[in-house]
Amino acid sequence: MNSVSQPPRWARRLLAWLHPWDTLEEVEGDLDELYTYWYKRSGPQQATLRYLLNVVSVLPPFVRRRQRKEEYSQLSILKPIMIRNYLKIAWRNIAHNKSFSAINILGLALGMACSLLIFLWIQDEFSVDAYHANGPQLYNVMERQFYDGKVEASPGTPGLLADELKKEFPEIAYAAGLSWEEERTFSVGEKLNKEKGRAAGADWFKMFSLPLLAGSAETALNAPANIAISRKLATNYFGSPQAAMGKSIRIGNKEDYQVSAVFEDIPKNGSVTYDYLLSWSDLLRHNEWLKEWGTNVPETRIQLRVDRNGVSADPARLEAKMKSFLKSRNPGMEKRGLDVQLFLQPYQEAYLYSNFKNGYQNGGRIEYVRLFGIVAVFILLIACINFMNLATARSVKRAREVGVRKVVGAGRNWLIGQFIGEAMVLTALALVIALGLVWVLLPTFNSLTEKHITFQFATASFWFMLLGMTLVTGLIAGSYPALFLSSLNPIRVLKGTIRFGSGARLFRQGLVVFQFALSMLLIIGTIIVYRQIDFIQTKNLGFDREGMLYVSSEGELATKYGTFKQELLRMPGIQAVTKMDGTPTNGFGSTGNVQWPGKDTTTSIQFQFSTVDYDFTKTLKVNVTGRDFSSDFGADSANFLINETAARRIGYKDPIGKPLTMWGKRGTIIGVVADYHQSSMHTPIEPFIAKLGQGKIIIVRIKPGQTKQALASLETLARQMNPKFPLTYRFADEAFQKLYHSETVVGALVNYFAFLAIFISCLGLFGLAAFMAEQRTKEIGVRKVLGASVTSIVALLSEDFLKLVLVAILISSPVAWYGMSSWLQNYAYKIDIEWWIFALAGLLAIGIALLTISFQSIKAALMNPVRSLRSE
Amino acid sequence: MRRTYLGEFEEVVLIMVAILDGEGYGVTVSQALEEHTGRIVTFGTVHNTLIRLEEKGFVKSELGGATAERGGRRKRLFRVTALGSRALQEIQQLRHELWQMVPPHTLRLSGL
Repeated sequence: MNSVSQPPRWARRLLAWLHPWDTLEEVEGDLDELYTYWYKRSGPQQATLRYLLNVVSVLPPFVRRRQRKEEYSQLSILKPIMIRNYLKIAWRNIAHNKSFSAINILGLALGMACSLLIFLWIQDEFSVDAYHANGPQLYNVMERQFYDGKVEASPGTPGLLADELKKEFPEIAYAAGLSWEEERTFSVGEKLNKEKGRAAGADWFKMFSLPLLAGSAETALNAPANIAISRKLATNYFGSPQAAMGKSIRIGNKEDYQVSAVFEDIPKNGSVTYDYLLSWSDLLRHNEWLKEWGTNVPETRIQLRVDRNGVSADPARLEAKMKSFLKSRNPGMEKRGLDVQLFLQPYQEAYLYSNFKNGYQNGGRIEYVRLFGIVAVFILLIACINFMNLATARSVKRAREVGVRKVVGAGRNWLIGQFIGEAMVLTALALVIALGLVWVLLPTFNSLTEKHITFQFATASFWFMLLGMTLVTGLIAGSYPALFLSSLNPIRVLKGTIRFGSGARLFRQGLVVFQFALSMLLIIGTIIVYRQIDFIQTKNLGFDREGMLYVSSEGELATKYGTFKQELLRMPGIQAVTKMDGTPTNGFGSTGNVQWPGKDTTTSIQFQFSTVDYDFTKTLKVNVTGRDFSSDFGADSANFLINETAARRIGYKDPIGKPLTMWGKRGTIIGVVADYHQSSMHTPIEPFIAKLGQGKIIIVRIKPGQTKQALASLETLARQMNPKFPLTYRFADEAFQKLYHSETVVGALVNYFAFLAIFISCLGLFGLAAFMAEQRTKEIGVRKVLGASVTSIVALLSEDFLKLVLVAILISSPVAWYGMSSWLQNYAYKIDIEWWIFALAGLLAIGIALLTISFQSIKAALMNPVRSLRSE
Repeated sequence: MRRTYLGEFEEVVLIMVAILDGEGYGVTVSQALEEHTGRIVTFGTVHNTLIRLEEKGFVKSELGGATAERGGRRKRLFRVTALGSRALQEIQQLRHELWQMVPPHTLRLSGL
């Protein structure tokens, strides 16, 4: 070349390095030629500049690639024809390996059925109370009480709070109180029945979306004699909702109420239940004490105002404004060492977030929702891992197929598509089975969880969930075989020199460890939950709940209680009878208004309080030092019984005979009752005071083994004395079981899930053991020929798995310990987590694993070595 | 038949290839562009356009023999295919027909 100057060398290198190789030669030539041309026309500087610019213009990403003539365009893996092909091949493979496919599909189906049930349950939990049109504006007003160095949150508020708040704060559009549930006797003509309901403020139906079938939200609860009833009651008593309007209902055989509205039955996913609502004015008329600002029994609901632009009032600002509202109404409170602040809880959250610790929200049912969500994912994951493991187990056989496919020209994408497709087909089959399983199991599941879950075929979310679950499961399950098998080198596979690398083995071992760690977590969880529930249910409560009945006192039973008791004690099977304000296990009202000489006036101790009748300790079978109330002592109406905790808090060394003043009335302590649990084991035993008086619940102690006679006696006497009221009674131990209802349900569910998880894991182990045995067929053959015993071969094969299970135990134990001890924190009285639980769970896991593996190992060990060695 | 879209720059480059009659390659096309239309474009633009025209089937190319002047590198010479020439003719015909439809006064007015 005769050119004087050359373009910069680095630019040429850059070009050579980055430009597509198939157009490089011509471009280099063209650019050189152009350089010479520019050089001649405008000199070296211009030429160099232009050269650089043009080099850049032919570098990626600016340059276009020339398609190679010899390159065939690959079929896209998502072309319909390819998808059809995947499905066909998948189907052939499934049909060809029936036992493997069955294990796979069964595992997946179980996992999916389980997750589906949990999903439906979670969906149902979230739907509770979420159906109100004004939902986002609805709040519960709650109290945060500071006393005795403690903070406690209480949903109970003064009876007058709702109306006063509405007057005081313009942000509140509506406010209504809601009382406790009461069972009362309704009579209409000849019809006589017990119904459960409440009292609610006049704004109730304006706030909550409960369709009115008759009457209007304005007038439903605005007069003292008004009663709103559900569709069910209207139909039962009057035939139809319309016919019920304006009719009168006699309640408690005493007062008449007029039906002012008929509302639709409370939906299954409503947390507050009632079949009738009485007006707030009626409630206040019958319970003058509710007008006291110091009471905190009924609940208060408010609805925030929404302005014209649809913007709701700010709850945080309202909360700040009303925080000290109660102090302004009840000035004496602080002197007694009690401070009460109001706060707001979003109504729709109340169901899931109902636990409070130290006065602040701390979980609730949402914890169970999360727990089960995690369990669902775990179980599905275990099923997916099985699938991966089993697919790898078959990979020795499949490797050859992959090799042939690759040689014939299948690309890696194509193979990935094929394996994922296969997983999808299996998942889809599993889904069909899972849906069937759920369909069959749903009634059982519903009765176990006391839900009313139905398949909601019409909702998009259900289908979306199914689709999502299938896709995700298929992808996860198919991912490993797809990525692993598609990466195999066809030449080595077909030459038979392929070795499954240590990476693959490690991965598989990791999967097994993970799987078993999850199972172990569930086993340990099950044992601990079971032990705690057992502990609660068998723990000595301090009173004997076997053979005790709760009878509600109504009508003549209340007015002529003395005669009733006397008559009853003469009947067969009855040992003792007394009366209390509530049932012994459900707690009572509390009061801080108790004085004694030497009391520290700056602290306020809340005492559980109940009136009781004579024979209180005899009926409950609690120990008492001193004496019980007795008709032999005329002055007992001014005296008190306290429990041991109360004695400790008061600080009397020897309390009997010492003075005590409650609600300004002075009396003497005549006895100290041994501590017994007044409410669930979630809370510690509180100080308790009993006074002689008229309670609402009659407690009957049955003579041991004479339940039948006792019930008959009760029935006869009640019908004779109190014909206007149907007799209702409950067994104390049943009522007690109800306290731990959610624990029992959770315990049972966790039980089933743990079993499932272990079962699915074992399916996986079974497959893996088959894989191992298959891989080592030759080795086993040689060993046997050289004289190894069957036992030593079984040991050889099992050893590997046992190591993995051991690692799983080591990993899961601390996690389980941590998880379970935080669950036990919910209880004031709980079991210790002992080491043997972990040992037991570990032994169980090892035992089950051994059992699973041994089948395959023994089969392998017993095989005739001639067969395995002949092929070489 | 599916009409293949031909962009304005593609059209110009295609015409240049036709003008150069077998002598068209990267350098001559860009020089002709500069010379006849005054457009100075980067080499990459011309290169890409030629490749695209080839993909669309309007030109075909082959590597010429090696010559000493470019350091022994071969050049890729482009020729218009039958499809390409037909596309050019169709465009010209279309333009012609459209021109016939323009009322003379509109252009005169707007030209003022």
